[in-house]
Amino acid sequence: MSENARLPMCSENVHEGMRLGPIQYVVTPEQTRKFSQAVGAASPEFIVDARNPGAIVSPTMRLLDYALLIAKHFKGGKGGIHAKHWCEFHEPMRVGQAVKTEGKITAAYRKRGKFYFTLEYESRDVVTDRLLVRQAITSVLLNEKGEMR
Amino acid sequence: MSASPSEIRIGAELVSPPYLLDADAAKAYNEGVEQPPQRRPRGNIHDDKDAARKAGFVAPIAAGEQTIAIVAQFLADNFGMRFVRGGRIEVSLTQPVFYGDTLTSHAKIVSVDADRAGLQIYVENQRGAQVLTGSAAVRLNDA
Repeated sequence: MSENARLPMCSENVHEGMRLGPIQYVVTPEQTRKFSQAVGAASPEFIVDARNPGAIVSPTMRLLDYALLIAKHFKGGKGGIHAKHWCEFHEPMRVGQAVKTEGKITAAYRKRGKFYFTLEYESRDVVTDRLLVRQAITSVLLNEKGEMR
Repeated sequence: MSASPSEIRIGAELVSPPYLLDADAAKAYNEGVEQPPQRRPRGNIHDDKDAARKAGFVAPIAAGEQTIAIVAQFLADNFGMRFVRGGRIEVSLTQPVFYGDTLTSHAKIVSVDADRAGLQIYVENQRGAQVLTGSAAVRLNDA
């Protein structure tokens, strides 16, 4: 979606069934190293160094792909409050792997005055199409004033 | 380390070392996720007092993803491939995490069947309040 075609991020524009993405990226050793350090990874299989150049990526390093999917289709907005999340880990991502992620809005509703939406998204290996991770975020969307209603 | 099958039994409990989620830890986390950078505009609930207050918080809050990442890495460190290949987590972020909070992850095995173990998980802060609660599953087979 082009920059001009992006919709304002507000409850009126978020609908169940909307498809977001795809986005593509290559898992970099720099990000993997920084992330594993940031989350205090202790197991050597998650630590990138000369002995382990193809390290396994910490399982939630690409959890924020939901933000990239949203940013590709929407602009502006005041953000949201992360309420719930689930992840199914099928295969670990590895350093150097090319990955494609796409998603779908599976729920959009009001509850006690707050607007919630759920974005389910999955990441696959670009070359083999093998499923790596499937996950979903449920978020409370802040309104134009930055409030939770 | 990775728990051996004999350690995966109902009632077994795991507790992480404490994790200080201060401004430096948040900066390190952001540097580890910002590819491409600038996905999140400044002046939001994570870095701005007014934005946090409008959203109902007394101060800027840490990103919920960071708390999820901490407990997920705790499970990955303990269960290895049993978690990152075929495992699952499902969590609710029940209370805000403020910069300077110290988080401890907990996991308790509550079920074991033919090929999976089910875990009850939570993360608590230094005041003993649960900021994340949920469940996880790991495979028993290490293949």
